[in-house]
Amino acid sequence: MPTDQEFAPKIQVFEPHRAALPPLIPYIKEFWRRRVFAIELARFNDKAEYLDSRLGKVWLVLNPLLLGLVYYLVVTIIRGGGHTNGLTTLDHLLIGLFTFYFAQNCIIAGAQSITTGGRLILNQAFPRALLPFSSALQAFQQFLPTIPVYIFILVVGKYFYPTTQVPGWTWNFLWIPFILVCVGLTGFGLALVFATLNVYFRDTNKLLSYITRIWMYLSPVLWLPETLKGKSRLLLYANPLGPALTATSNVWIKGEGLHGLVIFGCIFWAVISILIGGYFFISRERDFAIRIS
Amino acid sequence: MPEELAVKIEELSITYKVNLEAKRTLKNAVMRASLGQQMRVRTVEAVKNLTIDIPHGSVIGIIGSNGAGKSTLLRCIAGILSPTEGRVIVNGKISTLLALGVGFNPALSGRDNIILGGLASGLTKDQIESKTDEISEFAALPEGFIDMPVRTYSSGMYGRLSFSVAVSMTPDILLLDEALSAGDAAFKEKSFERMRELCEEARTILIVSHALATVTDLCDTALWMHKGSMVAKGKPEQIVDDYLKFLNVGSLPSNLEDM
Repeated sequence: MPTDQEFAPKIQVFEPHRAALPPLIPYIKEFWRRRVFAIELARFNDKAEYLDSRLGKVWLVLNPLLLGLVYYLVVTIIRGGGHTNGLTTLDHLLIGLFTFYFAQNCIIAGAQSITTGGRLILNQAFPRALLPFSSALQAFQQFLPTIPVYIFILVVGKYFYPTTQVPGWTWNFLWIPFILVCVGLTGFGLALVFATLNVYFRDTNKLLSYITRIWMYLSPVLWLPETLKGKSRLLLYANPLGPALTATSNVWIKGEGLHGLVIFGCIFWAVISILIGGYFFISRERDFAIRIS
Repeated sequence: MPEELAVKIEELSITYKVNLEAKRTLKNAVMRASLGQQMRVRTVEAVKNLTIDIPHGSVIGIIGSNGAGKSTLLRCIAGILSPTEGRVIVNGKISTLLALGVGFNPALSGRDNIILGGLASGLTKDQIESKTDEISEFAALPEGFIDMPVRTYSSGMYGRLSFSVAVSMTPDILLLDEALSAGDAAFKEKSFERMRELCEEARTILIVSHALATVTDLCDTALWMHKGSMVAKGKPEQIVDDYLKFLNVGSLPSNLEDM
């Protein structure tokens, strides 16, 4: 069992890093040692964010819920559709939006975490990746209350429309933690990329709001993954959230398990995002204190 | 590294590039790239070939005009900036106050901010929670303010709280940048007292200050830096005197307050 002393040695030597990356093992150990800081920062930021809002955290659920209803009106009522299909569409829209918003919040809050954490960065030496990591934890905390809301809508919907194809309890729901971990890791990895870009180009965050909106339209949130057939399904797997949103739809809407390609896609994008984002961020984080001062 | 040394700096140079573009935006970067233009950058040699040994228990005052490299040097000792050349060896736990109000989220209470500041500096949650009342008392916050949002604090209260967090971490090495300008005369005296206590416990303090009176009152050694290089090091009175001569101003009380 490693000791605190091992993680934070009394004698520290600061030397130029000849390679682009600092020594990774001490970095990861220090990251792990200070994980409580990231957890508490997420908790406190979450508390601060809704301190002045009368409805408080209700907005976390209300916002995607209202958006889901608007999209439902656009997609179902204008297009026309039966009650049963309507419920399936609504459920698909809601769980897709909730999951997409989880990833989006990871990325947008993470992208701002370095520039808004300026004074902390100027004053303390710690692995900077803790800041976007904290944003990812906060996004997860904000995502969690949407699950019981979704389940409530599901249960009420099934009561009124028992013939709906949306499933009741199934053991395939055990895939959900796997999907959420993959979405969280993909979001965190991409947040590392955008947080770095935001240090160098301060309009990155503005651009992100457009990117994420277009990204949502290109993802299986407003449309079912089965819409893409044949070679065009490749587009689904080229999208970092495509496999995870397909998996979300498979499990929540059809009650099915995940097949190999979807599992591979989820893991692939989570690993690739962390590797690319981690390299891009860590190799440049020594520059942050200069760029934001 | 000899045991009696708190910090050993060997041939340290810190160089970085500063972006001179008025707007650091992606839009400008794309426009520049499309026109085949390079980004305008300036290379800053913030610290040049500095070698110095700092024994445990010393109080070092670093003086020099703006752009001398004082803050950059402290940030390098804290591990916030990396050396470009040479190396820094630090023997002991560091606490820093290099930017006022560090780690503070103005929407959160003073208590919450103390916990965040402590966790960021590497303390455990239990350690920092046990110090919260002591920090609040030292910062002399009016009753009840510790649980009020920091945005309701006056600038003096804000500064006092930042300083209190930094000195309460029981550091082996304390790095302060202009921190003593926080608070009124009574708090300044209390800060001096606290720092003297730290010195008696053989802890090391490095202060960057434009208040030369602080350097002569508190420090046992002064380090004068100019444009990244060390000009002189020695007894504070002598170094301050030389510095004032260099600036071509007399040692009037007003000059000693803020140079």
